[in-house]
Amino acid sequence: MNPYVPSPEVLPLPAPAPLLAALLHLTFLVHLLFMNGLLGGGAILLGSLFTRGGDRELHETVIERISKLLPTLFAGTVTFGVAPLLFLQTLYGGFFYTSSILMGWPWFATVPLLIVGYYAAYLNAFRGRRLGDRRRWTVALSIGCAALVGFAFSNNTTLMLTPEKWSRLYFASPGGLHLNLGSALLWPRFLHMALGAVAVAGIMLALLARRERADARLGEALVRRGLDVFLAATVVNLMVGFWYLLALREDVRRLFMGGSGHATGLLGLGTALSLVLLLLAWRVRSAPTHSLKPLAWSTALTLAVMILMRDAARAGYLAGLANLQEIPVRTQTLSLAIFAGLLLGGIATVVWMVRKLLAAPPR
Amino acid sequence: MNFPVWELPMGGGVLMALVSVLHVFVAHLAVGGGLWLALAERSARRRSDAALLSLVKSQSRTFLLLTLVFGAITGVGIWTTAALISPQAILALIRIYLWGWAMEWVFFIVEIAAALVYWYGWERLDARTHQIVGWIYFVAAYISLVIINGIVTFMLTPGGWLENREFWTGFFNPTYWPSLALRTAAAAAQAGLFVLVTAAFLKRDDARVWATRRGAVWVAAGVAAFAAALPWYRSALTGAIPDWADLAAGAIPVLPRVVTIMWAGAAATFLLALWPLAAPRRWHPAGAVLLVASALVLFFGGEWVREAARKPYTIHGYLYTTGLRVDQEPQVAAAGVTAFTRWRDPAATTPAERGRDLYRAWCLPCHTHDGYNAMRPFLAHRTEAEVADFLSRLHHMRARMPAWHGNVEETADLAAFLAADTDRGAAVFPADRGAAARLAWDAHCGTCHTLDAYRALRPSLAGNSREDFEAMLDLLPDLAAEMPAYGGDPVERGHLLDFLTDAAGTAEAAGDRSAR
Repeated sequence: MNPYVPSPEVLPLPAPAPLLAALLHLTFLVHLLFMNGLLGGGAILLGSLFTRGGDRELHETVIERISKLLPTLFAGTVTFGVAPLLFLQTLYGGFFYTSSILMGWPWFATVPLLIVGYYAAYLNAFRGRRLGDRRRWTVALSIGCAALVGFAFSNNTTLMLTPEKWSRLYFASPGGLHLNLGSALLWPRFLHMALGAVAVAGIMLALLARRERADARLGEALVRRGLDVFLAATVVNLMVGFWYLLALREDVRRLFMGGSGHATGLLGLGTALSLVLLLLAWRVRSAPTHSLKPLAWSTALTLAVMILMRDAARAGYLAGLANLQEIPVRTQTLSLAIFAGLLLGGIATVVWMVRKLLAAPPR
Repeated sequence: MNFPVWELPMGGGVLMALVSVLHVFVAHLAVGGGLWLALAERSARRRSDAALLSLVKSQSRTFLLLTLVFGAITGVGIWTTAALISPQAILALIRIYLWGWAMEWVFFIVEIAAALVYWYGWERLDARTHQIVGWIYFVAAYISLVIINGIVTFMLTPGGWLENREFWTGFFNPTYWPSLALRTAAAAAQAGLFVLVTAAFLKRDDARVWATRRGAVWVAAGVAAFAAALPWYRSALTGAIPDWADLAAGAIPVLPRVVTIMWAGAAATFLLALWPLAAPRRWHPAGAVLLVASALVLFFGGEWVREAARKPYTIHGYLYTTGLRVDQEPQVAAAGVTAFTRWRDPAATTPAERGRDLYRAWCLPCHTHDGYNAMRPFLAHRTEAEVADFLSRLHHMRARMPAWHGNVEETADLAAFLAADTDRGAAVFPADRGAAARLAWDAHCGTCHTLDAYRALRPSLAGNSREDFEAMLDLLPDLAAEMPAYGGDPVERGHLLDFLTDAAGTAEAAGDRSAR
């Protein structure tokens, strides 16, 4: 037993661990969708701003559409990031807090980085063209900040899995200036997430094209642009995923290579789904009027499988250190029921408001 | 003890205070401002006042940028920072109030979505729907406050939760309702502040005057309601924390000062609001800047009162700031502090090195060397033996210090680190006689006594001469078992005798020192 792993919190969990884990995964999935739109969409936007596309109209449309959406994607990413963080801390607080403290300053820096990135996104959305040449640097600042926040998260979520590193880092310097740069897991994990974001944003761009009803040619061009991005990012990401698998600690990797039916099944399913996605995307790309729904839903399903794979890897790393089944539980039934009711009411309210807004054309 | 302690030169508390005061300032504005936008839009539409409607629209853009970005992200920042500074407390709070936070999160989503739809809906939604969205925003924002208020007040006055561990008992704790009244009043004042600040930068027309006058009323009425609710809050605190009167009298040294800061901020904010109330046409950006500054002082003082009153706990009566639970104290007393110090450097071999690990676990969560709650000024005037002796008496100190449960060896280790780490050169006294005398008092008698308030010494000093004090200083342990022997060198002794002699002879001129 590693002596630096905090003793478990004595207060009971307010609901059974599997329910909390399910909520963690579910809210994380929504967060990922927004985050992918933000980071991946931002990357596509940056690519457009720093190049001169052949199709001028397509080029401008990509820039304007994404620019307008970026602040809302920031809002969604943060808002839906809060909930999975809450559930993660409920289940793995001891590990997550320790690694956060070791990287105190970089971790704290996520707060000002988000503020700067978010404001830059609004500056671009509100002032856009009027910024002239500075526009591309404003977007670079915005997306750069968001990417750094993601990088800090990758550092933290890998450092929390390796308690054997903690004491050496802390006693070398207790001022909270560490990252987890020496970790074999860090770069493939970050790149896998970042490329995944670009790929998913490609599909989102294609979906967005469906709103360009007035101009069929432009709509098709947008679909093709989105799917090109998706295909390129996903092909590279398959290789990064393989690198990620190789970077896992040996005992954890073995879980995915037959050691655990659950983990191996998820890896198989995830890989198969990625290939299906490539095929579906290729098919729509060849005939842009085809429905995007199968592709969109399969993408969401693939993300869900990826989330479960991350969870299986985390469980493998923390095996013997964190056993969720052993945490005492005292379910707060009334509070849980109120939350569930409020969540349904809240979703209905948001859906009502957003539908009202989308139904009304800009006057 | 359970977690590593992040070593920050200025102290974790300062970083926490910075993030939380800025957030709380904007968060109250985000609640009250929502009500303002809904009401002002309704007025503008009823009066068919295009200029006013355009003013409200322009305010809603500032509102969006301020609350959605700065307000929301600093809210996440409080979490991030609190988990870095007080991980054990957040771990416990999440177990107790997970569903409270989850409920608040739902309203957070609704609030953010409503704010976005409200802004983007100005040109797209019909008037009625747009106003409904405005009200949805305000209701969601206010309920967020209603929920968070339960968790924040729980930390100070958990009340019956300490016995039954029930969610709702802790939520509707003894200070819940008065605190909600204070925060509601503060939200109204902040709405007024938002109106006044935005109006100050607009072109001078009738709509601006209309808004300015109302903003001034909101600020003045909000601050007045805040002041009116304070006695209710104080009485709830007195009921929940039996020795509250002692704390307010200086048992927590900083408390009387922060109460003064809060009142000063409230008074300045109220007085500044009279300017736009009396002369709305002459309202000026300079006034807006002063108003923000004074309201920040009010929030800074108010939040600091709550934080200071909770010392030395993060959850009053349950969890110390060090992360030790109150019910663990007997075990620590029996087993020693080392057994409860998880982060011990395997390379630490000397007493001072072992002491450094103890220092990080047991002192650093509240103190710094030279920053906030600095230890060096006290340590610089003590020998290693005095420090060791002093550690065993910590729980007698004014600042509600928890008892030190180190055994003889652990105490020697910690004292070795503290003494070795102290720059003895800092023991030099300032040239000014009064300042030197004050420092000599603060470093010794002042750690446990005040002159005129908590454990007042002046009555015992009256009528004694310098020679009497000279003799008394050598007999301190005979006066009371808790008193340590005085070991100051002749220079310091001279300064302390100056102070005591002055205090004994100048009772009527001591008003300014009474709180210290």
